Amino acid sequence: MSTKVVIAENLTRRYGYRVALRKVSLEFSEKGIQGLFGSNGAGKTTLMRVISTLLRPHGGSISVMGFDPQEEPEEVKKRIGLVGDKLLLYEELTGIENLRFYSKLYGLSSDFFESQVQDLAPRFAIDTWLEEPVKNLSTGLKKRLDIVRSLIHNPELLLLDEPFSGLDKDTTEDFQEYLNEYRKLRTTIVTTHNLAFGADLCDEYVTLRKGIVVSQGPISEFDQTL
Amino acid sequence: MTSGFGAALAIAKKDIVTQFRKKFEAFSMFLFALIAVLAFSFAVVTGGVVPEEVGSALLWVIIFFTGMFGFAPIFLSESETGTLRGLATAPIPAWSVYLGKVIYGFFLMGLVEIFLVPIISVLFGFSILNDLPLAIATLLVGTLDLAAVGSMASALTMPSESKATVFPLVYFPTATSGLMLLIEITKIIVLGPGLIPVLLIFEILLAHLIAMLTLSASVFHFALSP
Repeated sequence: MSTKVVIAENLTRRYGYRVALRKVSLEFSEKGIQGLFGSNGAGKTTLMRVISTLLRPHGGSISVMGFDPQEEPEEVKKRIGLVGDKLLLYEELTGIENLRFYSKLYGLSSDFFESQVQDLAPRFAIDTWLEEPVKNLSTGLKKRLDIVRSLIHNPELLLLDEPFSGLDKDTTEDFQEYLNEYRKLRTTIVTTHNLAFGADLCDEYVTLRKGIVVSQGPISEFDQTL
Repeated sequence: MTSGFGAALAIAKKDIVTQFRKKFEAFSMFLFALIAVLAFSFAVVTGGVVPEEVGSALLWVIIFFTGMFGFAPIFLSESETGTLRGLATAPIPAWSVYLGKVIYGFFLMGLVEIFLVPIISVLFGFSILNDLPLAIATLLVGTLDLAAVGSMASALTMPSESKATVFPLVYFPTATSGLMLLIEITKIIVLGPGLIPVLLIFEILLAHLIAMLTLSASVFHFALSP
């Protein structure tokens, strides 16, 4: 039996009177790429924010890598990397200054930071752009830099909220190649509304609709018509 | 893992570097302060001097309103660009984010005061610099107090849709008590020797600063994770 990296039971989250997650119970296995599918407004981003400690649930319980995100947020935070809809980069700083800033927040040693930059920057083809202020970079380069930022501390759990939207073909391929390489070493949770794409990439899936889990299981059992 | 103080310094350094490259807030603050000083010097100064008790109030009222330009965007810019999520998902205590912003606010305001106080002293014929150590101590503690209140006000304003209206509504009442103490201390400094009464009020000011810092830091996680 595989270990579960995320276990949610009866998880509820509201925005005012609107219920974004309605008694959601689900599990994500450790290692591999786990898909969180659903159309816009299904509750995918809300669930990712609860997992990443950004939002407090209003009901139910959740465990992330054995920790409660509300009771032990720092234990969860140091183990996750997050790529969301907004870039977590400072426009006035250069690429390397952004990465160095985050490395300080994560308490990385200089040696580890340098080795991570040397590994990740060429892989995502941003090594020649690191000295440029982020505001001078194209949207694609910024997205690549943001992906490197999310990986700089070598997280155990990578949370990707619609990571491929707005990416060009080359960046998408580079990122997929990287995710495949680490498929057996790291857990990645990917949200997408592109079901065909998700079915190709993921090992397991959970489908949300209007804040409710409608199906979950191994990707071989995934039915796109549901 | 980075200590809370190390993270606070990294956040403050990042904001200071950004400010030096952008120059927007510092320039707006300095310009406002200069215009206010010139306007008051034409209106109030008679015979080359301003009444000492009026000068004490004017000095801190100018600093108080100048602070609004610097403190209001402290969290709003991070909230609007989305980078606040990067701080919220980093494995650092929430208070370190607040402390980092207070240090930055203190630096920004201090930078303006380095130019502002001598100009006021000359144009108002104002003798605050006669007792230099006490004047410097008052400016340091007073500026830190305003930065502590301003940073928290900026954080509390984040969820509001009417940010421009809400910030002064939070900043004014919470900063006014400190402002009154600062005016009183400055008045005693410029009116003549009165170390004992100054120290008594200074103790209250220090208590106000410590209360603002500890109270804000202890509840700050609610601002980061709603």
